[in-house]
Amino acid sequence: MLADKPDRGRIIEVDPAAHELGARIGHTVLQARAAAGGVHVLVHDAARSSAVWSDMLDALDSVSPLVDDSGEGTAYLDMRGIGGDASQWIARALQALQGFDLPVRAVVGPNKFVARALTYASDGRIDPLPIEVLELEPRAVERLHLLGVRTLEELARLPHGPFVRRFGKAAAAWHDRARGVDPTPFRPRAHELQIDAAAYGEGSAEQEEQVLFALRVLADRVCNDLARAGKAAGMVRLTFECDNGDVREFDSGFAQATGDARTILDVLRAKLESVTFSSPVTGLRMQVMRLEECGALATLFGQNQADPQALAVALARLEAATGSTPHRAHTRPAPRLEGRFAYDAFTVAQRCQAEVAQRCHPEVSKGVPQLRLLTVREIDVTIRGNAPVSVHEKRVIDCAGPWRVDDGWFDTPTVRDEYDVLLEDGMLCRIYRQGKHWYLRGAYD
Amino acid sequence: MSVMADDRAAFAALKAGLDVRAAGLIVAVSPQAFSSGFAGLDRALGGGFPRGTLATLEGAASSGRTAILAGALAQATSRGLAALVDDGSVYPPDLERAGVQLERTLIVAAQTPLEIARCADILLRSRAFAVVAMPATPLRATVWSRLCGLAQKSGTILFVLGLHASTELAYFASTRVRCAIDRVLWSGKSGVLCELAGYELNAHVLKHRRAAPGATARLHIVDERIGHAAALRPRSDVSPMRSAAGHPVGRTGSACG
Repeated sequence: MLADKPDRGRIIEVDPAAHELGARIGHTVLQARAAAGGVHVLVHDAARSSAVWSDMLDALDSVSPLVDDSGEGTAYLDMRGIGGDASQWIARALQALQGFDLPVRAVVGPNKFVARALTYASDGRIDPLPIEVLELEPRAVERLHLLGVRTLEELARLPHGPFVRRFGKAAAAWHDRARGVDPTPFRPRAHELQIDAAAYGEGSAEQEEQVLFALRVLADRVCNDLARAGKAAGMVRLTFECDNGDVREFDSGFAQATGDARTILDVLRAKLESVTFSSPVTGLRMQVMRLEECGALATLFGQNQADPQALAVALARLEAATGSTPHRAHTRPAPRLEGRFAYDAFTVAQRCQAEVAQRCHPEVSKGVPQLRLLTVREIDVTIRGNAPVSVHEKRVIDCAGPWRVDDGWFDTPTVRDEYDVLLEDGMLCRIYRQGKHWYLRGAYD
Repeated sequence: MSVMADDRAAFAALKAGLDVRAAGLIVAVSPQAFSSGFAGLDRALGGGFPRGTLATLEGAASSGRTAILAGALAQATSRGLAALVDDGSVYPPDLERAGVQLERTLIVAAQTPLEIARCADILLRSRAFAVVAMPATPLRATVWSRLCGLAQKSGTILFVLGLHASTELAYFASTRVRCAIDRVLWSGKSGVLCELAGYELNAHVLKHRRAAPGATARLHIVDERIGHAAALRPRSDVSPMRSAAGHPVGRTGSACG
């Protein structure tokens, strides 16, 4: 039996022996074990299945260049123009999948439906097969059964027009398939283009210059391949293999996809600026992880436009220098000061580029008092009549507030009263009282 | 006679133009100057902050430095990109209200002096930003020299904000502006209905390599949402006018922002 999850999962496949003992698809693992005690339960590993299926499709590429992936477990191969007869084709396909040690059925048919139906047929004919192979809705199957239609042959014998009029538009396809006609197009899977370059030498690199030289060579090779494919790299993965067996990977994204070796090299150098290896480097591999269509934004009269390549390099350098991604802020409504803004990663967004075209030129800035946030710290405040009169023994000259902030009632309730105060030394600051304590939040500057 | 009349008319037009210019209604901004966003300060600076230089905005915690910086950032982000090396004090909602386009402002967090200098170095080297701002940190003269050179090469203005400039920084800065809030403006009487509307500050040009230093601009920083400057008055008699770190404030009244 095959279950989707180890403990609280459900059975998704049963073999005939387990079915005989009473286990059914849809049972919980507990129910299935109770029904068929001695049967072994395997857990379905979706990621591994997908990887294996991908490998199988790759293996089938050796049989035909056109492989239609119809989901895990079913693939169609276009064998037109390929030498040999049906039996030879089947033998080749089975041979290609031999290494996977999985039960495989391969048949030859004129179209996708017939080929699929023939995998269930023992005598090479689809006529005697039950109508369930059409994968109809249970209700439609039931209606056909009531009419005495149980096999494809019986369905094919019905007159097309009256059958379609009675069962609706979809019935035309059922009837066609029952007669061995399937217009479903063949969709060959796209071959994933991979661009990478590797350097492995007999010796090892101990100097930074040696590694950079190898990097430059690899970047040139990769960029040549990119140029040939008409693509640009959106992200590059660099894999270092060290003498002591360590393997370290570095992913570097580009703000704008590039095929320029210099830019790739600059970004990678920036990424590696703070990196040290514990042993000499013996192997180096550069792999393009995200291929994008080539072409850069061309802007006329954009003198003030930032060079995206330079910006990408700067972002990578900043990330390497500070260990955090450079960001841009955005504002949002919130009761507390701290909640009124948030950060997200800084990228060269299209929006940013496009807005330059309709730029505005504020002749005079809107002067607005600017609050500078300070590290929140407790302060000594003397109050009189609910208003602060001194802060750290400095007289309060003017005061505005309090403004009650009541936030986080659903999680961590925060109730505080905020004030703007002007102190005798000229400090203009935002303070607040939370419970019995007073805190300094920021200073206007 | 008609020729003479034409000459007189042309002369009168020219004179009127010069008078208007002299009256400060038009600020001639040279292409090398970067407008601060405040006409008064631009006049005091002889057109604005020179591009490709290092400029300091000095003053105590509540002196109006950030308001001037916000004006420059608003100007920069209206045309391109700007960058801020943040030591944790940036409050983006107020920057946005001052006209800064946050989506074009790169904010990079850095804490130690070395990190701050390194970030400024990277930002200047990219040549992607019209304005880069960083907090004043104790750095060696060689670092300031390098940053100054990079700013010159990239045509970027590097603003350094701090209480006062160290000897090294003061040497390499092309422009030094000292700020001090003169009067604080409130929108009403004390209490819940009162709000901070803004302040008037004096920006004194301590140093200018391309123009005469010593001018002072008086700037009105007033939040328009709360009220107009004309309708606002300081509530208390005590003016918190001060000169940070004991530096003398220069001549006043030369220009109004």
